[in-house]
Amino acid sequence: MRASSLEDDVDAERRLEATIEGASARASAWRRRALAPEQRGSVAAPDVGVACEVILADRLFRDLSPAEEQGLMARIRGAQDPSGAWLGRGGAPDLSLTALGWWACVQVGDDPREERLERALRAVHALGGAQRASFSVRLWLAIGGHIPWSWLPAVPAELWLLPASSPFSPSQVSTWARGILTPYLLLTRAPARVHLASAAPLLLTRGGAPIPPRITRDGLIGDLVQNLDAAIKALRKVPRGPLLRASLARAQAWLAAAQQAHGGWFSARPTILSLLALRVAGAPFHDPRIRRGLDYLRGARGLVVGGEAPQLAQGLQGAPLAVIARLIQAAPQDEDALPWLLAQEISEPGEWQRRANAPAGGWPVEAGAREILDVEATCAALDAIAALPKTASQSAAAWAATRRAIEVLLAMQEPDGAFARFERGESSVWLTTAPWRDAELLAYGHVDDEARVRRTAMVLRQLARVGLRAEDDRVRRALTWLEGQIDARLGRCATETLAALAQAAALYPPEGAPRREAIERQLRARQREDGSFGAAVTTAAALIGLCAVQERPCVQARRAARALVALVESGAVDREGATISGHGFSLTAEDPSAGAREAALALRAYAARGGQL
Amino acid sequence: MRKIDRPGPQYDVVIVGASIAGCAAAQALALADSERRRRILVIDRHRGVSPRFAGELIHPRGAQILEDLGFYGPLRAAGAVDVEGFSVLERADGRYVELAYEEIVGQRPRGLAAHHKSLVRVMRGVIAAQPQIDLCEGWVIKELQRDRQGVACGALLEGDGAEVLVRADVVIGADGKASAVRRLAGLPDERETIGFTAGLEIKDAAVRAPRFGNVVLGAWGPMLIYPITEGADGALTYRITIDLPQALPAKGARLADFLLDAYVPFLPERLAEQTAEALRGRRGAIEMAPTVNLPAPRAALPGIALIGDAAGCSHPITASGMTMGLRDAERLGEEARRRARAPRGERWLDEGSLRRYRAEHDRYVPTRQALADAIYEAFRGGNEGARAIQRALFEYWESGPSARRRSMALLSCAEGRPSVFLSEYIKTAGHALGSSIVPRHATHFPLQDRARQVRGAVSLATDKLGLVTQVMWAQIRPAWLPREA
Repeated sequence: MRASSLEDDVDAERRLEATIEGASARASAWRRRALAPEQRGSVAAPDVGVACEVILADRLFRDLSPAEEQGLMARIRGAQDPSGAWLGRGGAPDLSLTALGWWACVQVGDDPREERLERALRAVHALGGAQRASFSVRLWLAIGGHIPWSWLPAVPAELWLLPASSPFSPSQVSTWARGILTPYLLLTRAPARVHLASAAPLLLTRGGAPIPPRITRDGLIGDLVQNLDAAIKALRKVPRGPLLRASLARAQAWLAAAQQAHGGWFSARPTILSLLALRVAGAPFHDPRIRRGLDYLRGARGLVVGGEAPQLAQGLQGAPLAVIARLIQAAPQDEDALPWLLAQEISEPGEWQRRANAPAGGWPVEAGAREILDVEATCAALDAIAALPKTASQSAAAWAATRRAIEVLLAMQEPDGAFARFERGESSVWLTTAPWRDAELLAYGHVDDEARVRRTAMVLRQLARVGLRAEDDRVRRALTWLEGQIDARLGRCATETLAALAQAAALYPPEGAPRREAIERQLRARQREDGSFGAAVTTAAALIGLCAVQERPCVQARRAARALVALVESGAVDREGATISGHGFSLTAEDPSAGAREAALALRAYAARGGQL
Repeated sequence: MRKIDRPGPQYDVVIVGASIAGCAAAQALALADSERRRRILVIDRHRGVSPRFAGELIHPRGAQILEDLGFYGPLRAAGAVDVEGFSVLERADGRYVELAYEEIVGQRPRGLAAHHKSLVRVMRGVIAAQPQIDLCEGWVIKELQRDRQGVACGALLEGDGAEVLVRADVVIGADGKASAVRRLAGLPDERETIGFTAGLEIKDAAVRAPRFGNVVLGAWGPMLIYPITEGADGALTYRITIDLPQALPAKGARLADFLLDAYVPFLPERLAEQTAEALRGRRGAIEMAPTVNLPAPRAALPGIALIGDAAGCSHPITASGMTMGLRDAERLGEEARRRARAPRGERWLDEGSLRRYRAEHDRYVPTRQALADAIYEAFRGGNEGARAIQRALFEYWESGPSARRRSMALLSCAEGRPSVFLSEYIKTAGHALGSSIVPRHATHFPLQDRARQVRGAVSLATDKLGLVTQVMWAQIRPAWLPREA
């Protein structure tokens, strides 16, 4: 009897090891696919909106190969709902995506009389017509000559002359918004015009003329601002001579300086607009800046699994480092991973340093970017570096990179104690309070976003690793902010957030034991009958959280581990991805590598604590 | 010296503790007794040398005392290293400043560093040449004997399972921060453990200034790397001390992993590799010693004198502990010389001698403690104010050689003038404000952040005002003014 029990234990141990190895191998394969020079696999596929814009922009640039165009269109067509609409977050029909999807299909030659496009058109009309769609769609409609430029918000060029500390300066808006606003200004001044397929059917008309959209929010202030907007546009007619020229020159200089080493401007949409702006400013097609920008867009495309024809997703960015670093951590056996990761470290000054007092360091948002810091990628890279085996020379380089990254992380703390992602102040842009419809796009997220809670907990883990203690005023401020968030929203937090909080609370026990107990209780209460916490990624996060709060894995952790092992063995982790954060018009992206990767990480953490199946 | 197994019944002076301060005091007293009329007993708890690592770095002021007392030559012959100053590195790739001793006018240009055990062994060997001294190892003080007036007149000693009552005019407590003499004298124990220092030895450490005490900042606590032994071939062995918090985040074998994660990254590349090697290749536990803050107690009571760490100690970051102990010994030696011809029936170190010793001790010890506290706080950088002072120190030191000279004179105990102390304080506070308003990297640092930094700097500067006043008063206090009993 005793011998049989021992054999069972050995079998369970082997099973756990085999599962970890299997998941780790899949993570390794995902990393190689995501970084392949050709036929790259997508690990962050956003909605089809940006792909549609690439199709529209290609009318001007003629850069897409037939295979690329087919791949992008396969994904766009494949994403169409049977209702005819393209769906957005939460599975609801999305006006902007549907308008862009219809237009992209028509642009490549699909017959607008096709049933599916007719349905799409009906969906657009049912949702209020393309004039009510996002700023992005209206911009394309203006570029296509279907609506007047006056239907878009007015941006005074003189803002670019303001000092960066001014609340109206473009420097005060988020990185992505700055990447959109600057080329937008140049496009409106030209104004830009591209001969695109007719999108007139997308617009609701009255008396044969398109109904003008309201560009401000509802309410009295909105009405007043609508008049202000009109006034600004009227003032544009007044000759401003040198002031305007200086403003536009400043915007053009920013555009030239903001192109990164990889050829892009922060992400795909700012890159598309910047390329259009360069063309409008007179740059020829063979201009190296344009070629590099187009190459960047190409590099941000990746193959996605699904459908009969190969589908190509236009990513917001190239290989996202936050994902790649997690894949590296999940597959520490890959010897080439650490040198690659260390080579991605930011070594040049960037705009993020304007408000963050730290020398260059940390990791960028995507591989090859040299100037745009990403706190989440930095944390993921630090986790990976800590987990990977190193040779002596790699150790020294890893220590140096870690040291620089910690300094950067500390410098990215906001006055409220939380941590910014790309730039300090990105979530509290004063201009978002202006009553324009699209004003919220000027900020990255919101100060009360749950993502900030997770990010702050993530940074605290890194600070704890280098020995910073709760007495340190910076850690104290972060903890105080987190405690406020715990008190305010704990019951509403996602399981992943609870897991991140549990990890932080294990390292920095919050003031008063009840808070820590409350986090743990909430986390435990999310477990389901089958031992899982929902999807594989959620279960993995919860398992990591449970392992963090106890020296030895508890029964609940064991049940979660068993559920996770079953998911890996059944191959479900390969089908279950995760939704990761995006930005701008595409607030989320799908990460198909997350299931295997997070399972490997969670089960390894469980095994390291002596957990058994 | 006679190394004896059992103390005799009568001595002029009993010194409890045969480490650096105790040996130096014994030697200073013996040298003061040119006619060899006196008898001095030195006892120590440990047979041989204490197993715990302790102070090893001595400023030029202390090195001069070692030379005057005849220790310097034997120490150098035993591998002690001449130290040329201090360097401070903000972090591995940060600002770097060298504060050289030779820039200080009118002072010896070099300090001394030696392995603690070798230091004690050699010093005990040197005092062996003094016939007035008896050394008893493995003995401790159990009780102080007092006469009818309450003046200490001897001690009950214990060792080898026996107790011996020894009569003496003066009992000197040189038994470190946990001094038994201080406790038996009835002084309250105001020790506060700040944290721990971990020590490692590294061969040929890759430091920019090989013969300097090299301070590296950036981690939770400062790290100090200095040479402790010079081989016959000129190769240097270094000590790296790592400052750890009081509540150790990891213990046992996990402490090494913690040091690798939390401290090693802040060292320059090659030195980081060497430290990691030393951590991984060590045998047994990492050497540790507690860091203690002990506000200077009364250094002299009737029939009792406290010297070295027993008479006040602070964080070892300024490496001034041993120098202070040596100054105490020197001072007692001067008092002994003054009373060298005292008649047989009178006490060698009488109440006047002890009072003068205390008055002098009280001038330099508060300065040293205030500086050590302030420097440690700034080097730790645990709050906005401390980080402002840290930035300010680098800016100030980079401003020119005279700034470095004045700071080093204060730090190395060569300067004690209140005007210099005050002017250094004001200049540093000014730089702290400046660096808080104008950041180094952020071109558009928000006003809110600048204001927070300025508030931190002002708050710290204000907090330290009381300390500055206390130090200045200690310097200018008239000797005749009565002190508390």
